[in-house]
Amino acid sequence: MIPFVAIISLRNQESRTFRLWIPLVLIWLLLLPLALLLSPFIFIACLFCRVNPFRGVAVMWQIMNALTDTNIEVEHRAAGMSFHIL
Amino acid sequence: MNEHRRQILQMLSEGKISADEAERLIAAMEQPTASASSDASSTAAGKPRPKYLRVVVDSEDDGGHEGPTKVNVRVPMQLLRAGVRLAGLIPAPALHRANDAMQQQGFPIDLSQIKPENLEELVEHLNDLTVDVDQKDANTKVKVRVFCE
Repeated sequence: MIPFVAIISLRNQESRTFRLWIPLVLIWLLLLPLALLLSPFIFIACLFCRVNPFRGVAVMWQIMNALTDTNIEVEHRAAGMSFHIL
Repeated sequence: MNEHRRQILQMLSEGKISADEAERLIAAMEQPTASASSDASSTAAGKPRPKYLRVVVDSEDDGGHEGPTKVNVRVPMQLLRAGVRLAGLIPAPALHRANDAMQQQGFPIDLSQIKPENLEELVEHLNDLTVDVDQKDANTKVKVRVFCE
């Protein structure tokens, strides 16, 4: 399943937490027409680099799907940051 | 399966077989199912397949004003698999250059040896990976743990 939401949390020195929800679904929807427009160029670039374009697209799709549940947290006394992909 | 059982019971009712024989036949019929289910439970009871690669860094500041720092990274194993597949797409000239660069940095790893067929084996071996690094100097104490869960 492709990731739907990315949550970025930032905490500053005063322990204020800013949480930003990024709706990745909307980004994917916006990028889809762009990807379709660029697909011939991507195809040519893949052929130029001697990469199977279909395998390339498949691997990119797998990477995008596998991003779900990725979590990165950095905590410090002065500040903190967390990045979570759902 | 029920049909076999019915046939046995019918043979019993017709008097073709005795009750003991019917019992033995039913037991023999159920044996493969029981062994199959025990195999499945042993797999489930065994070590579960890890889903994530975790990197935990814990830095304690003993004397300074920086304070402790904690880093917690959780990467899905699926992402590692996809990443290795991506490495398989790198064209040969780029692979040679990458190999040369890595050798210059002291990592004699041949990326061209990463093939889709041994990809699963490679990721499976990461399941048993646990790296613990403890570093302690005058002011700081750093603990790094890399493991799969």
